[in-house]
Amino acid sequence: MDTQKQTTRLLDAVLFREIWKAMKVTFKHMFHRPMTFQYPREKRTIPDAHRGALGLLRYDNGQERCVGCDLCEAACPSRCIKVISEEDKSLPLQRYATEFYIDITKCVFCGYCVEACPVNALAMTKMYEYSTHDKRTLLFDKERLYEIGEQHLEDAKKYLYAHNQEHDDEESRAYRYHFPQPIEKTEASDS
Amino acid sequence: MSNTSTMVTLTIDGIRTEVPEGTLVIEAARQVGIMVPHFCYHPKLEPDANCRMCLVEIEKIPKLQTSCSTRVAEGMVVRSSVPHVESARKSVLELLLGNHPLDCPVCDQGGRCDLQDFSHEYTPTVSRFKELKRVFPKQYLGPVIETQMNRCVSCMRCVRYCDEVMDAQALAAEGRGTITQITHWAGNELECDMCGGCIQICPVGAITSRLSMYDYRPWMLKRTETICSYCGDGCQITVQRKDDQLIEVNSALGAGRNNGDLCVRGYFGYHAAEHPDRVQQPLVRQADGSFAEVTWEEALDRVARQFTRIKATHGSDAIGGLITTRCTNEDLYLFQKFMRVVIGTNQIDSGARYGHINGVRALRRVQGTHRWTIRYEDLAQADAIMLVGTNVNESNPITALHVKQAVKRKGAQLVTLESLLPVRSTVSNITTLSKHHLEVKSGQFSAAILGLVKAVVESNLVQEDVAREAPEFVQTIRTNVAKVSWDAIREQSGLSQTDVETAARTYSQAERAVVLVGREVLRSLGGEGLVTNLMDLQILTGHLRRSGSGLGCLAEGSNDQGAVEMGAVAEYFPGPAGLHDEESQKTLTRTWGQAVPAGAPATLPEVLTRARTGDIKSLFIVGDNPVESLPGDAGVTEALDALEFLVCQDLFLTETAKRAHVVFPACSAMEKDGTFTNTEGHVQSVRQATEPLGESRPDWEMFSALSVLMDHPIEYNEVKEIFKEIRGVIPGYGLLGPASTPPKVDEKTVAQYVTSGFKEDVDQRYTLDASPAAPEGALTLRLVQSLYHSGKYSTRAKGLMEIEGEGRLHVNAREAGRLGIEEGQTVRLANDGGQATVSVKLNDRVPDAVAWFPEHFDEPVRALFSLKVDPHTHVPVWKTAHVTVTKWSSTNRSIEERSRV
Repeated sequence: MDTQKQTTRLLDAVLFREIWKAMKVTFKHMFHRPMTFQYPREKRTIPDAHRGALGLLRYDNGQERCVGCDLCEAACPSRCIKVISEEDKSLPLQRYATEFYIDITKCVFCGYCVEACPVNALAMTKMYEYSTHDKRTLLFDKERLYEIGEQHLEDAKKYLYAHNQEHDDEESRAYRYHFPQPIEKTEASDS
Repeated sequence: MSNTSTMVTLTIDGIRTEVPEGTLVIEAARQVGIMVPHFCYHPKLEPDANCRMCLVEIEKIPKLQTSCSTRVAEGMVVRSSVPHVESARKSVLELLLGNHPLDCPVCDQGGRCDLQDFSHEYTPTVSRFKELKRVFPKQYLGPVIETQMNRCVSCMRCVRYCDEVMDAQALAAEGRGTITQITHWAGNELECDMCGGCIQICPVGAITSRLSMYDYRPWMLKRTETICSYCGDGCQITVQRKDDQLIEVNSALGAGRNNGDLCVRGYFGYHAAEHPDRVQQPLVRQADGSFAEVTWEEALDRVARQFTRIKATHGSDAIGGLITTRCTNEDLYLFQKFMRVVIGTNQIDSGARYGHINGVRALRRVQGTHRWTIRYEDLAQADAIMLVGTNVNESNPITALHVKQAVKRKGAQLVTLESLLPVRSTVSNITTLSKHHLEVKSGQFSAAILGLVKAVVESNLVQEDVAREAPEFVQTIRTNVAKVSWDAIREQSGLSQTDVETAARTYSQAERAVVLVGREVLRSLGGEGLVTNLMDLQILTGHLRRSGSGLGCLAEGSNDQGAVEMGAVAEYFPGPAGLHDEESQKTLTRTWGQAVPAGAPATLPEVLTRARTGDIKSLFIVGDNPVESLPGDAGVTEALDALEFLVCQDLFLTETAKRAHVVFPACSAMEKDGTFTNTEGHVQSVRQATEPLGESRPDWEMFSALSVLMDHPIEYNEVKEIFKEIRGVIPGYGLLGPASTPPKVDEKTVAQYVTSGFKEDVDQRYTLDASPAAPEGALTLRLVQSLYHSGKYSTRAKGLMEIEGEGRLHVNAREAGRLGIEEGQTVRLANDGGQATVSVKLNDRVPDAVAWFPEHFDEPVRALFSLKVDPHTHVPVWKTAHVTVTKWSSTNRSIEERSRV
């Protein structure tokens, strides 16, 4: 046993067998399609359900969806959302967010806020490149959030579809709650 | 209900329980821990059973019963969670939700809404309704209340509260069926007590406050239980804040002496403490007369050096002190200790001097207590209640609620001696509940009280045993009142003999009778004598010693009573004990480690006189504002300007503080801990609800810091240590729990009083002094307390300013017709003192030939008044003047302007 073992070790050493073994993997990969891609020149396709930066959405007529109900703030496990709301003086009873902040440095991208939103004003996008030299810009304010929502509107909608929160464009208009305005008699239909 | 001792046994959901007879099934269930869902039921209100949510099954009754209107019976078996009960509730909810907009995410009630909670519990997720939901526009009920009737479940709690508890009847249901909506009397803005009760009692979000609309969600709020600082009632309030922003104030059912009821000041007045005008930094006057913001160290050091210098060069009595009764007991105690120990003077006085002291002195003299011998519970049990010059609804709204309850629920007979017309409107008026309303001419309570005593003596209503025990007392009063004729009484007070006699009879014959005395008596010349006369009345009718009967003097300041008990008045040491009371001197010397000062005391008018003459070189004014709380001819500004050094400690830069050399920023009652003693002598804790604004600190810390800098350290780690010391000085002083035992009448003092004590001034007390006749055609102008304000402090509260933002001259329609003026017009008031231009508001409860002006906005009219000081108790009296009223139009003004040019 001992002699045989010693012979094998000798042969391994003489023939550089271990190197050949390693080179085998190398040669195999020479003919393999590359697994990596050249970020940032190349970008990978991201699934619709991806949880990226949050954006605020508007209805198609440009009206802000957000009613400032604070439910996202209540749902947020990392407490990174702050909403300050008041009544829209021009539309009695219409509540809206005067200020809306998401501290994205604290965000854990759980998506609970999107689930909590009763009007689907919040959605997650495929945006993930927002590194900066100034940490203060990572406190997204209302303006920035609507900007993100506008730029990534399609992604945001796809996120909502993927998470089964909204099914199509029609639904985003005639939403499940008709609020803050009560149902108008003229709009109502039998369906 | 709870009086009946008969107990009834019943079974609720298998739990056997014993409750007093007459209890409602829903209450019995609550006591064993079963919550029957309900909307329209509320413990404060009579059962209405309109919402049908509280249906339960009761054995042997074929149909489901509403547990809120069914009273328990022996052997009753109640089931509250069987399937068909639950399905009935589900149907009720389905009906309610059929018209309810699903706007919970934006509704201010969302998160503490009964409808939301029950919907979650009974989950009627599908609705069979396909009909349209009703649509009501949003409606503002006045400046602070709004309604969103789409959310209403028509439980009528608000309407019933407004009627049953507040007696205002300002709200009503309009329409039928699903289109029922809650509204006020159409055509006008809601004008009511604005107590906020409808907002508090609404189980859904149909009635909400405009002050905090959409500012918060209920789960964000942090709550602190504290005591309201607006009046002497001492209501327990729950201050709710989001981060450091005050969101709302309310009061939980059963909380404190107010049982969860609040008045407009408590409910909407909370913004005063965070007004932007607050002094937030210590201020020191510069050479050029302006104020510079400095550090605490610099300001304190400056004050300590000046006080030390003045004390060394001019003696201790060159320094005086005044303090407001909005301070806590701890602040008041430490202030007087600082003045007595560190400065070494007895020249201190407080806001109790404005009137409350009159009542306390009379109580001490006759019955030997400084507190009421009754409490709110006795009001509820009383057979007769007599209000003398209280205008209780405005000055002490929660005491008024207790009176209303006694009259409406228990059928107590109310006798009111008020300068008010018993006119019904949507603002509650206590005299409309009165059985015998004696409309006393303004300021003539002396004659009215004399009339009452005369009626008791002459109609043989004097108790036999009193006549037997103290024949001389009865006889002296008899001879004294005999000297005054009924004609003279009618002439002066406007009351007829028969009216007074009926009222006196009602009062005398009641088993349990309570007298409440208010500001029009306490803040009048000879106020102490008037209260003493009312005490005589009690002695004569035998009510003084009867349990459940007694006399109460209504305190206006939140801690008037505490100020007297803490010895922050000229005539008393803590206790209150007389300045010459040896026992008290000994205790204080032991506690303070130093002999009490022997110098003469000085009351508020005396302090000001001494400052004017130069005997007092320096004043330490804590929160008090004599420049604005005394008329121009009192010479307060001259007195303050004559001072070498004036230190003010206040929330705002008041007219007084503007004259100071150093201003310390103080904390409001919401920002500090301590205790308040309310009008009935109940000591309650004040807790810090918000962080002190800016650099402001609690008052006691400043006294303590100054004492250290002046080498007489009085140091405490926290406010509780001061309270401990107070308990050492006044044994048993403290938190007495929800139902305190009021002090008993001191038999020795009463015996001493009826045998000899009464003699010293009985002749003066029972004479009618000739009141100065009003000049021909003149109107009596009175500065009155408005329901919507309290002192000058509340004029910083934005909610209250929206309700009443300016002072207007209140006259009744008859008087306005006589003068040819209309609502909203401008009139010119003039007398020897000066003139003022004000606008008019019609108010039908103002008596004829009288005009009211809210004292909180007295700035323009203050020149019309002149100060009189009570010779005995030194109470400043000045709130009545005679003025001529002329119509003032824009043409007048332009003529005047032209002539000026």
